[in-house]
Amino acid sequence: MSEAADLTETEAFAAEHALGVLSSDERRQAEARMAAEPAFAAQVEAWRERLTPMSDGLAEIPPPHALWQRIERSLGANDNLGRNDNSASARGVRFWRGASVGSLALAAASLAAAVMLANRPPVVIHPPAGGQLLDASLVSQSGAPVPLFVAAYDPIRKALIVTSLVTPGNDPAHVHELWVIPADGKPRPLGIIAPGKTQEMPMPDKYLPALSAGSALAVSVEPPGGSPKVDAPTGPITAVGKLAKI
Amino acid sequence: MASATTPEQLAQLMSRVAAGDRAALRQLYDATSAKLFAVCLRILSDREEAEDVLQEVYVTIWRRADRFDGARASVMTWASTIARNRSIDRLRARGPMAYADQVEDLEIADGAVGAEALLVSAGEQQRLHRCLSELDPRTEKVIRTAFFEGVTYEALARRMDTPLGTVKSWVRRGLAKLKGCLAT
Repeated sequence: MSEAADLTETEAFAAEHALGVLSSDERRQAEARMAAEPAFAAQVEAWRERLTPMSDGLAEIPPPHALWQRIERSLGANDNLGRNDNSASARGVRFWRGASVGSLALAAASLAAAVMLANRPPVVIHPPAGGQLLDASLVSQSGAPVPLFVAAYDPIRKALIVTSLVTPGNDPAHVHELWVIPADGKPRPLGIIAPGKTQEMPMPDKYLPALSAGSALAVSVEPPGGSPKVDAPTGPITAVGKLAKI
Repeated sequence: MASATTPEQLAQLMSRVAAGDRAALRQLYDATSAKLFAVCLRILSDREEAEDVLQEVYVTIWRRADRFDGARASVMTWASTIARNRSIDRLRARGPMAYADQVEDLEIADGAVGAEALLVSAGEQQRLHRCLSELDPRTEKVIRTAFFEGVTYEALARRMDTPLGTVKSWVRRGLAKLKGCLAT
């Protein structure tokens, strides 16, 4: 075989994620990047396509018969959306519900139920006049049309005004944490978003450069108090949007 | 089982699953569960945990079926990825050094693709197999082990009694060569 060119750092990271050698922290970073960067997500998917045929060499092992019954029972509890309802909002909820694959998927599912209950039009934010304003609508990573959070950045007040469209009280065991992911791909924590509320979040000066058009905002599901890590979400990313000039 | 169901048939089943057809999910389960269970069991080495994860996998498939895009991935790649991700998440919950002491010998049986598998498999598996075998044996082994067992660089380094940076550069160089070989 001829000598191959080295992979770029980004592609190597994508390939390592597909291979499965990353630590939990790195896996979360990779998932966050996939949510924020379609090009990175495409690289991970291309590597999955390359590597998955390895599984074909595995001898099949039938699971126990009782497992199908267990699966069928757990479908029942989750099959209350009216699957034939193809309205945009029902589709959006389904997309969103499926968007989280992390270890806290159950928490995400219960939050999805909260969103379903929240079935109401997005709150319109009226940003104060003057300055270069930015806004973002945070929807599921598949681009479903239902926003779960909306945010506007006011450079005069140096604050993000964030509205959660999630019904409060449905998942007291978890919180929503907001992150900004600028071009360098590193998530910065912005704070906890209370469900169903509009709040003004003052932004520290060090984060102002990150709050520019094109940066991604993402929301993750975290234990109370927020992510134990300062530099990465530990729970699944549930909604993502890009900041754009108003 | 999987070999008796063509990729096209699986894709048709997926669109019925996306429309909420439980009978289609059952057919998909019958066609794919033995393969996905093998994937989970290989990573977790624990039947009970592998069964729990497999249950989560099919519930995920049911819920995410409308996100499946047949133009971008085959059903088996998509479903295997869910099974691998779920299993690796579960494994990581045991800590970064899970399986640093190997459960069995590093020589893994999955490396040798059986004649039968070669006969029934699509060309892409044969090509991957050929490209992997063109790597130096140590690199091939470490890539296969990483894939099948879902262990971290840290755990691989401990097992091989080799610095983490060295293992990482073997894997990255190996993956680069693999990409080149698969592209030809």
